[in-house]
Parts: sequence; structure tokens; C-alpha cells
Amino acid sequence: MDRYQYLLVLAACLLITLPLEVVIGVRVWRRPRRLVASLVAPFVLFLAFDLAAITAGYWRFNHRYVTGVDLPGRLPVEEVAFFLVIPICALLTYEAVRRLGGALSARSARPERTVRPARGAKQTHQGA
Amino acid sequence: MYLLWSLVAVAVVVGLELVWLRTGLFRQGSFWVTIAVAWAFQIPVDGWLTKLSAPIVIYDEHDLSGLRFPWDIPIEDFVFSFALVTMVLLIWVALGRAAPAAGSSGGTDGVADAGRGRDAGAAGAGGAGGAGGAGG
Repeated sequence: MDRYQYLLVLAACLLITLPLEVVIGVRVWRRPRRLVASLVAPFVLFLAFDLAAITAGYWRFNHRYVTGVDLPGRLPVEEVAFFLVIPICALLTYEAVRRLGGALSARSARPERTVRPARGAKQTHQGA
Repeated sequence: MYLLWSLVAVAVVVGLELVWLRTGLFRQGSFWVTIAVAWAFQIPVDGWLTKLSAPIVIYDEHDLSGLRFPWDIPIEDFVFSFALVTMVLLIWVALGRAAPAAGSSGGTDGVADAGRGRDAGAAGAGGAGGAGGAGG
């Protein structure tokens, strides 16, 4: 069981932030294209950072607590997942903070603030 | 060196915003609250990963600044996480800003992102908020 520790920590991060999407209703998971597009560059850059750090010997991973599935460069899969999980948690947090902050400052119980519908016309004026 | 390179990462990410993306994220209270929340949750998570009694990640102690706080977390980790989180948020916000016009088939993306106007307000939310008040 010990070897799943790192994996379980990451799973816990996803689990704990899931209510932000499901209960509070932020739309991060539900905007998959924007989500993926936001993750790609940081994932590549910071994984490269990580890989360089591992190669340089700045840090390494305790065999006891990782599954042992490594990618080239002695990179545990958990560490790869880390650079997806943490950013996703951060995005969920940010959207939740924005939503809650907006709700507080608006002080009204309006569920959704839309773009001021002009006489019931919803999205009809394009490039006015 | 980890500290140095983490600071470089922060500089690069901040530069990305100031020079190129210009999302205004750093002027949003929501951003700084998010950073505070992220750091707060980093304490149990990263704390578990780096605890010296049973570390999952083992650092080269000679390379670290030696400051481990709170718990056994190398302070460098907080610099690193700031860079990582900030970069992701910057791109997310930048993409949200660009999205609404595109009349893609999905539609839902654009609608949700139309709330963007709130960003401008969010920055100065503190002062302007109560002006019209007393409606209830």
C-alpha cells in the first residue's frame, strides 16, 4: 500500500477540489478544450525543469512510496501526473474564488450574471 | 540552485504576463486569494511529500537553502509552486479573454466566458461594491 502514497496524495487533491466543480459549479472540467490548452505549456516547461533537477540530483523519489512505473529520465508517473493535477486544482480554486468573490461583492442572490440581455434578445447583436 | 532556478521561473512567468499576455491577473484580488489558498493547501500535501521522517521526495540537502517551513517543506517549493500555478492561471485567463467571439459549434464555452466583464470589476470590487445598496 505504501507504494501508492504519492498517487493517493494526488488523488486526494483531485477529490478535494471536485466539489468546486460539482457543488459550487465552476466550469473547469466542463471546458475541456480550454483546460487542456491551459495545461500544455506549463506541463511541458515545468516537467522539463523537473527532469533537469532530477538529472542534476536536486531531488529524487523514495522507491517505497511510488509505484515504480518510471518514464525515461527516472521520472515516476506520479511526478508526471503532479504537473497536471496541481494546475487543475489551481484552476478550480481560482474559478471558485472568483465566483464566491463575485457573489459577495454583488450581494444579490442572482445565480448567474449574464451580459445584460437587451429586451429579451439573447445574443443577437454581433459586432454592434 | 533550486531556489535560484525557481526564482528564474517566477521571473519568466511574471515577464510572460507583463510583456506578452497582459491579462491584468496580478491586479485581481481573486488571483492573490487563489495563491494564498494554494499555498495553504500545499502545506498538508507538500508537507506529506517532503516530511523528513518518511519522505516521498528526497532533496539534496546541500543544494537547498536549508529553510524548511512549515513542517519540513523546503521554502523553495513555495516559489516553484507560485511559478507553476501563476503560469497556468495566466494562460487560462488569456484563453478566456480570447474565446467569446469565436462562434464554434459548441457554444457553451463562449457563454460561460461572457462573465469576463466581471474581471474588470473584481479588481476594484472592494470600494465600488456597496454604492447602490439598500435594495432589499
